[in-house]
Amino acid sequence: MAEVRRKSGKPLQVNPHKLSQPMGATLAFLGVDRCMPLMHGAQGCASFAKVMFTRHFCEPIALQTTAVNDVIAVLDGGDYSIVESVKNIHDKITPELIGVHTTGLTETKGDDLRGVASKIEVPLVYVNTPDYQGGLESGWTLTTQALIDQLTESCDRIDAQKIVLVPHVSLQPIEVEKLHDFIESFGFKVVAVPDLSSSLDNHLGEKQASLSSGGVTVAELKQLADAAFVVTVGASVKSVGATLQKKNPAIQHRHFDHVNGLVGTDALVAWLLEASARDTPPPVVERWRKRLQDAMLDSHFSIGQTRFLLVAEPDHLASMAASLREVGGKVSLAISTVDSPILGDIEADQVIVGDLEDAEKMRDAYDLIIGNFHTEALAHRVEKRAVMRGFPNYEEIGIALKNDLLYEGGAYFLFEIANAAERMREAQVHHERERIKLRGAA
Amino acid sequence: MSSKPKIKELLVESACEHNKTKKGSCNAPTPGATTGGCALDGAQIALFPFADAAHLIHGPMSCIGGAWETRLTPTSWSGRDLTQTGFATDITTNNVIFSGEKKLAAAIDHIVTHYAPEAVFVYSTCVTAMIGEDIDAVCKHRAEKHGIPCVPVHAPGFVGAKNLGSRIAGEAVLRHLIGTKEPEKTTPFDINLIGEHNNTGELWRYRHLLEELGIRVLSTFSGDGRIASIRTAHRAKLNVIICAKSLVSMTRKMQEQYGIPWISCSFYGKTDTSAGILAIAEALGDANLIARTRALIAREEARLDEQLVPYREIFAGKKAVLNTGGNKAWSIASALQDLGIEVVATSVRKSTEADKAKAREYLGENAILMTSPATQQAKVIDDTGAHLLLAGGRSLYTAIKKRIAFTDVNQEKKKSYGGYDGLLVLAEDLKNSLQNPVFELVDRKAPWQK
Repeated sequence: MAEVRRKSGKPLQVNPHKLSQPMGATLAFLGVDRCMPLMHGAQGCASFAKVMFTRHFCEPIALQTTAVNDVIAVLDGGDYSIVESVKNIHDKITPELIGVHTTGLTETKGDDLRGVASKIEVPLVYVNTPDYQGGLESGWTLTTQALIDQLTESCDRIDAQKIVLVPHVSLQPIEVEKLHDFIESFGFKVVAVPDLSSSLDNHLGEKQASLSSGGVTVAELKQLADAAFVVTVGASVKSVGATLQKKNPAIQHRHFDHVNGLVGTDALVAWLLEASARDTPPPVVERWRKRLQDAMLDSHFSIGQTRFLLVAEPDHLASMAASLREVGGKVSLAISTVDSPILGDIEADQVIVGDLEDAEKMRDAYDLIIGNFHTEALAHRVEKRAVMRGFPNYEEIGIALKNDLLYEGGAYFLFEIANAAERMREAQVHHERERIKLRGAA
Repeated sequence: MSSKPKIKELLVESACEHNKTKKGSCNAPTPGATTGGCALDGAQIALFPFADAAHLIHGPMSCIGGAWETRLTPTSWSGRDLTQTGFATDITTNNVIFSGEKKLAAAIDHIVTHYAPEAVFVYSTCVTAMIGEDIDAVCKHRAEKHGIPCVPVHAPGFVGAKNLGSRIAGEAVLRHLIGTKEPEKTTPFDINLIGEHNNTGELWRYRHLLEELGIRVLSTFSGDGRIASIRTAHRAKLNVIICAKSLVSMTRKMQEQYGIPWISCSFYGKTDTSAGILAIAEALGDANLIARTRALIAREEARLDEQLVPYREIFAGKKAVLNTGGNKAWSIASALQDLGIEVVATSVRKSTEADKAKAREYLGENAILMTSPATQQAKVIDDTGAHLLLAGGRSLYTAIKKRIAFTDVNQEKKKSYGGYDGLLVLAEDLKNSLQNPVFELVDRKAPWQK
């Protein structure tokens, strides 16, 4: 398939889109109801993450820091700072869960997180997420695994109707909800882990960001192991299937790299029909499939003549590339934040692990850009257009409600991209006409 | 000798009022109960506006990840805007074990080759400070090789909060840049603007007025700043600190080393803008300049007053509660008063002693100085009958519950309220808030609620 370059070969990142592992961990903990994510590092580590997610979601974000300073960095092994943080948090509020995640600072000094956690009485989940390893996806996955490892009780029963859904980090809150409801419409009960659909979905609530409000509850997390199936969506979370199976080997694991576009959604539906022993899906599903078919035909002309640059996390690249490919879009370049096994399967001419400097250098390869808000400035520099997707997006509002997946979201996605491509070409025609007029005048 | 600043010294700055009464510094943040950015964040905020210099973060992606291209500090620099260009060494496990100094040196080479900056600022971070990277040596060597200043900034996050990082940045500039070049010419009215970051173009709201008076901005630290001019800053006749207590160490040291006196100003609202411009003229001490300044102020105020007429009617009798931090407790209050709005309460939670005194002076005896605004403001709104809440986004719900208009004070992060003209922008935004039905409507009962 694609030609893949897995290493940047540069001594630095210029205009990076890679995000850190602790940021992914924070986000995963925010998908647990009444949780206080506690980042174990200097106060800035938490502050940078908090500012980023606050601006991205336009929502207050619950996040605390162990506020490691120079003295603590040298003298403490985590005992003081974590225990003290838990105490200070509990002085003000009573979270259902505290989610301790480390950073490069505390991993470099080598804190014994497990040892410290064992001394703490209140409900707590810990995870090692040094920011000099991995990225947003791995932080999210490690945390999801830690939640299951440390909270879920072993079980030998099976509830045939119950499905645990594990979404990858780039799925927006509304997408998790749509996927959740879609699966339930086949007669299942679904628990999403983590679940951002009710915590960061831009709902008006009485909150001062003291704790996450909404998400999977701790009680639900404890009771996950009676599920008949664990469904993982995104290569980055595939390993979570095995984590849950450890709690109950009778759980069956079904994995999808993505559930976008016609073929991707068909695969999910085929399996849901089989698992639910039904012949036909709910009528609304059939209706949306027809709308997507129509959207594909309506958008193929525009998208089919467009060369794309995609800039995103690996799983997000895979899903977007698949949707575009189905209607003839040529993904000439896909730039990933980090390496991932999925990169080799992405339907693109070239896939690289890199930054936006790479994108700028290869400007002749593409027409339209899909990526985070940094690609807007890139688009200006290389005189192209950009459509915003992925973390972070400070330029637009309503991101949490952007739905690109299943038949329904797939149709919206194609319309948005095709319209953007048309506007781009109109601007080019206009530009060209002005140039010819000027030449005529001279 | 290491260029690392002496943290203790920076924390007990003798020119800070509060350190005259206080024995120790309040450096230690409380674990589990701390908000706000770290020293690195503060250093970046202080230096990033130099758009002709590259800003290289020597650390993992957390230290830059979501934070580059977020500074709304415009520049008139004609080259590539390096404020909006993110550079990070992206330290990996390998670098933690085997050192990242070679990578850092190669990164500087890459930047100089491809972006031709006037200088490179190299920021250490917690991880690279912990593993003992000698960024001083790398910077020194690279500066010699490339013939441009490479400035090490020792502000790893764990040394303290944003404020300290800002001082460390000042220290780095003082040590490595200021006094390394002579200006082509000097005038009797050369000033430096210290702590003016040109956020949302604030500097541009008043610089033209200074220039009209014949006052030359020799250099800025660091809004719309140039490396070439900050290197000549030692020849200024006056340092003007703009709303930034954190940089008094820098101006005190410049007074000691170069004999440059300093004053502190705010350019928020009409009253303060006029006072600020006049203070600069008076500090420069030229009778003719002072007279010209008074004339300019009269002209500008008259022009502004005329433009504000349509707003005065809308704002007449309106009361506002202000919940924001630091010097904004009084600087925004002053601007609101200029518009004819009565400020009935302000937050002094994060204000210094001097700021509190000033807030009291501006607001009068009857105003409420809130020490715990999050819990107090709802009741204060009830008690005072306020019409408008100016606060950060978190307080939006309070305004909706109380069904009064809300203005996000952080709007000023997107558009400038500074100077005379900024007041018109603020007036327009407040008018829009007061006339917007959304605050009344959004919390109305749903059809199924009794």
